[in-house]
Amino acid sequence: MKRQARILRSGWLLYAALCLPLVVVFIQAGQGNVEYLADPAKFLLEFMGKAAVVFLVVTMAVTPLRQLFPKSDLFKALAFRRRQLGIAVFVYALLHLLLYVPYIGSWEAFADEWSKLFILSGLVALALLLVLALTSNNWSVRKLGGKGWKRLHKLTYVAAALVIYHQVAQEKTGYRETLVYFGPLLALEAVRLGRWWKNRIPSVQSPSRETG
Amino acid sequence: MLIHRKNNWEIAGSLVTSEADYLNRRRFLKAVGLGVGSLVGGNALWGATAGFPSEPNPNFLGKSLEPTPYDLITGYNNFYEFSYDKSGPAKLANKGWKTEPWSLEIAGMVDNPMTFDVNDLIRKMGGIEQRVYRLRCVEAWSMVVPWDGFALNKLVKLASPKSSAKYVKFVSFYNPEEAPGQRGGSIDWPYVEGLTIEEANNELAFLATGIYGKPIPNQNGAPIRLVVPWKYGFKSGKSIVRIEFTDTQPVNTWQALQPREYGFYANVNPKVDHPRWSQASERVIGGGFFGGRQPTLMFNGYEEQVGHLYEGLDLRKHF
Repeated sequence: MKRQARILRSGWLLYAALCLPLVVVFIQAGQGNVEYLADPAKFLLEFMGKAAVVFLVVTMAVTPLRQLFPKSDLFKALAFRRRQLGIAVFVYALLHLLLYVPYIGSWEAFADEWSKLFILSGLVALALLLVLALTSNNWSVRKLGGKGWKRLHKLTYVAAALVIYHQVAQEKTGYRETLVYFGPLLALEAVRLGRWWKNRIPSVQSPSRETG
Repeated sequence: MLIHRKNNWEIAGSLVTSEADYLNRRRFLKAVGLGVGSLVGGNALWGATAGFPSEPNPNFLGKSLEPTPYDLITGYNNFYEFSYDKSGPAKLANKGWKTEPWSLEIAGMVDNPMTFDVNDLIRKMGGIEQRVYRLRCVEAWSMVVPWDGFALNKLVKLASPKSSAKYVKFVSFYNPEEAPGQRGGSIDWPYVEGLTIEEANNELAFLATGIYGKPIPNQNGAPIRLVVPWKYGFKSGKSIVRIEFTDTQPVNTWQALQPREYGFYANVNPKVDHPRWSQASERVIGGGFFGGRQPTLMFNGYEEQVGHLYEGLDLRKHF
């Protein structure tokens, strides 16, 4: 393996990247970011939510990116580390949930809120992420078998759909912020779908051409 | 001699401020060059757009309300004309946007339609006074702001509305060259707000031209903005260019955007939730990570002053 590829795959680089949001938030708080000073619970809540979304988008973008750029060392390394990336999504989403309690004021207030569709979608998404995080180890892959494991982890798409709803629902108007985060992923998925469709057409159309 | 009558919205200070915050405020006031004594002692302060002396109105001192620090009031703003972020307006509204001179038009069903330069208008209103009001945002956060300005009912009187006028419409500025938020997006600019004529004539309704005895910063709605302390913050339109008296209920900007979530009245009401979140309590800006929650009061604590305006009205339906 090339030296560059080895560095990109290194665990230290990965863990540094996964901790980056925590470093950024400490710096911002330390520098007296006005949104943090004014409303710290809200600032931290939203920050952790956005960090979870960024890692979710990166995790889901790995496969389409690798298909588009099969020679890229970076995307190969990301594919190699995809399960750890997925666990980071869960950890930041969990921090986001834990911050929701001081944000809303109390556990009692939280109990009053959870049944709202907007909150419920986030909770169900987190529950799915928990299942995926718990099965992101070699033992689970062996136990479930490659195919079974892949099928189970297709739940990521369900979680992502719930997260998109959850994020759009907190926007006061429209969906522009959600689009900034999920736009690149949606574009990549569209490209993937387009390629799949193109590869599929000849086999479907050629018999009809012969008979026509 | 004026005797201060304690209003019921002046809740106990213990509910509002910890000692640490109080000490922080003292330090802050020192830093901006305002003595604490000058705020509570009633000395004249400089305020308004071009430096009009501001006299605290003894009926609206908001005793026991602890004003939010100046840098949070002027650094944490919802002003979608400039930015969707709360820290954005302080930067983007001060990149050359000129708020002086500024014309304000009084129009519609009035005996005296006219257009004023804001400074001339303030002179005509007999100068400005300071009032300390709570501000409760529909997003469930709150501040306490020492506003400088004049009572809206003075302006209503000057305009002399015809008896057919039932509502007052407030139109904010439109200048997409200076206000990036007005270029595109889903909001139909300019920003519009409205009150019934009875609401506009209520003693609490206020037009602000200053904060903390200083001219109001651009990001807070310079040079003149509405302040309706018993309603959610979005009712208090910023940087107003036109006040129109009309017989039809204005469709305010947020109502047009999301009629299910934002109504015409938008009275602060802890018993009527926003569809997506509870309005029962609020986070006090600058209150810290855990200490910032307090219960929300009916009509934001001004029930005695405004409750009679809504007798017989179903507040669940007319939210």
